[in-house]
Amino acid sequence: MAKKTTTQKSLLSGNEAIAQGAYEAGLSVACAYPGTPSTEILETLAKFPVIDAQWSVNEKVAYEVALGAAVSGVRSLFACKHVGLNVAMDPLMTSSYTGINAGFVIIVADDPGMHSSQNEQDTRWVSIYSKMPLLEPSSPAEAKEYVKEAFKISEKYDTPVLVRVTTRVSHTKEDVILKQREKAQKGKLEKNAPKYVMIPGHARQRHEFVEKRLKKLTSLSERTRLNKIEPGDGKIGFITSSVAYLYLKDRYPDASYLKLGMSYPFCDEKIRAFAKTVKKLFVVEELDPFLEEHIKALGIKFTAKDPSFRTGELNPELMPEIVGGRAKKVKKVVKRMPRLCAGCSHWASFAALKKMDAFVAGDIGCYTLACLPPTSALHTCVCMGAGVTLHEGLRKGAAQKKIVGVVGDSTFVHSGVTGLINAAYNQVKGVVLILDNSTTAMTGGQQHPGTGLSIRDEPTKKLILEDLCRACGADNVDVIDPMDVKGFAAILEKRINEDALSVVISRRPCRLIKRRV
Amino acid sequence: MNDKVYSITFGGIGGQGVLKASEICGWAALYAGYHIKKSEVHGMAQRGGSVESHLRFGKKVYSPLISTAGADYLVCFHREEHPRLKTFLKKGGADLTASLDKVEAAVDNPRCVNTCLIGVLSTMLDIDQKCWMRAIETVFKKMLVAENKKIFRMGRDIGLS
Repeated sequence: MAKKTTTQKSLLSGNEAIAQGAYEAGLSVACAYPGTPSTEILETLAKFPVIDAQWSVNEKVAYEVALGAAVSGVRSLFACKHVGLNVAMDPLMTSSYTGINAGFVIIVADDPGMHSSQNEQDTRWVSIYSKMPLLEPSSPAEAKEYVKEAFKISEKYDTPVLVRVTTRVSHTKEDVILKQREKAQKGKLEKNAPKYVMIPGHARQRHEFVEKRLKKLTSLSERTRLNKIEPGDGKIGFITSSVAYLYLKDRYPDASYLKLGMSYPFCDEKIRAFAKTVKKLFVVEELDPFLEEHIKALGIKFTAKDPSFRTGELNPELMPEIVGGRAKKVKKVVKRMPRLCAGCSHWASFAALKKMDAFVAGDIGCYTLACLPPTSALHTCVCMGAGVTLHEGLRKGAAQKKIVGVVGDSTFVHSGVTGLINAAYNQVKGVVLILDNSTTAMTGGQQHPGTGLSIRDEPTKKLILEDLCRACGADNVDVIDPMDVKGFAAILEKRINEDALSVVISRRPCRLIKRRV
Repeated sequence: MNDKVYSITFGGIGGQGVLKASEICGWAALYAGYHIKKSEVHGMAQRGGSVESHLRFGKKVYSPLISTAGADYLVCFHREEHPRLKTFLKKGGADLTASLDKVEAAVDNPRCVNTCLIGVLSTMLDIDQKCWMRAIETVFKKMLVAENKKIFRMGRDIGLS
């Protein structure tokens, strides 16, 4: 909850402002799985007792629960990081067809520069792919307003709405004016099979609806104040969005701007009209040529950034380089690399793996840092859950047996468990090591089913990992503290040489959990 | 209020209270009525990596990031980070690293270096003392407010001496 001042102003991060905006909009339900840079959205929402907030098991689950809430007639929100949205793509694509019954807003946080991510995907493309509207705030104060607007658009046009932010928006703080909460809607569940049962016959009808909706949304995009023309001296003009707008305003305060806050559907008429008012036109955006390719197709002449700027984060210094049409100069900056904390039990787990000279299929979490020196004992990292499944695949072409799949406790529950069932079903032999530090550590220590505590730290049903692993079909399940160096190494050695599917749960709570309480 | 935008770069490594320091300063600027943009990155950086926070305030601020040679002030808590961070400092800008020795000698608890150095910084900014006190009350847990106010004043004395 925001700290209030007498003027009802608060210094909020983009994530806190998104939560505040949703709260003010009468939000009832919020679901997410933690992921930097989006985590604080749900953490902030959970501080409002009136909101039903949850950490879900994974993003697909979170999306579906939030969608269900919207279909039941209450405003709901789903938040994730960019790669999290990939996990939720299945329900997302079809929810564009079903539409909603009360406002449903999807917050997705991209990570240009990959401060804390495994790829640099530009999620704006999802709006074209799913035919859903896309809002792009550039700062926390704007993010709060845009989220409120998104709920209105969602209800008026019967569509989920994508609000896309970036790390720089999520983690920038700005003074934000706090307002009263609107009255939340009362749920009203109605049977409507042609709208909510997507069998081919119904879905064909709904696809027609989606195309018509896209036309209406295009007309909204032409007239909305979110797509704003700021006239300047007319010499140079910028079509831009998100933080690129702020960087340009710093460097070129006198230029003309078309700032796209609703970047999809594209507002072609506004773009054409703006282009006519300036002598030299530039299109400046972070990451992919999302605006650039579309505006090019309109036959408008402009200068875009050199393709070398499609990787990495932009900043104000790069603006003159982009305007000058130059390629990116690579500056080598020596920064301190992150590493596992002193005393972290992952050091011990990986010391044992290194000693065995195992090939380690890794996963997403603090322990991914074990790929770096001095440990250098983790050899793959692709996505959530792949520690278990890549381990299975790696065995297909490898003669050597010393392959170990490694996954964290929260990650195992997120999507490792299906891989373990797959391994048992397909009679895979090998060792899956669950590094159980009893929290979602990398994102700052969030609860998950295995901790037995809710998002509000209240007791709830606790998932027993060892029982789950046995039920999945693991032949052996051992639980051991990795700080018992000899015992841990002995168990690993024994299990790896057996002709069985074994799970070793390396259990020791993260040292940072207790400090938090 | 004039049109000047103040730019301050804070830096150090995870665990030194870099973000707390910029948070105190941000709230003080808020109470003084400025428009604020404060930028930082959470996540992996907290695992002992380099931590950096940019604070800009004025009548109207656009970019949340400070450019090379764009900072009026540099507040650096770790000497090894200094060579990298000093590139942010404007010609003629104030480098608070110069006060780091004095501050470290003055405080008993290394965890208080951040508040003390902010006290030094406060003597250079157009923000009323009352705003700083309110900021400390906002940012710290109740039980830590009195101690941090005391340490902040020590920093102020160092800054004024």
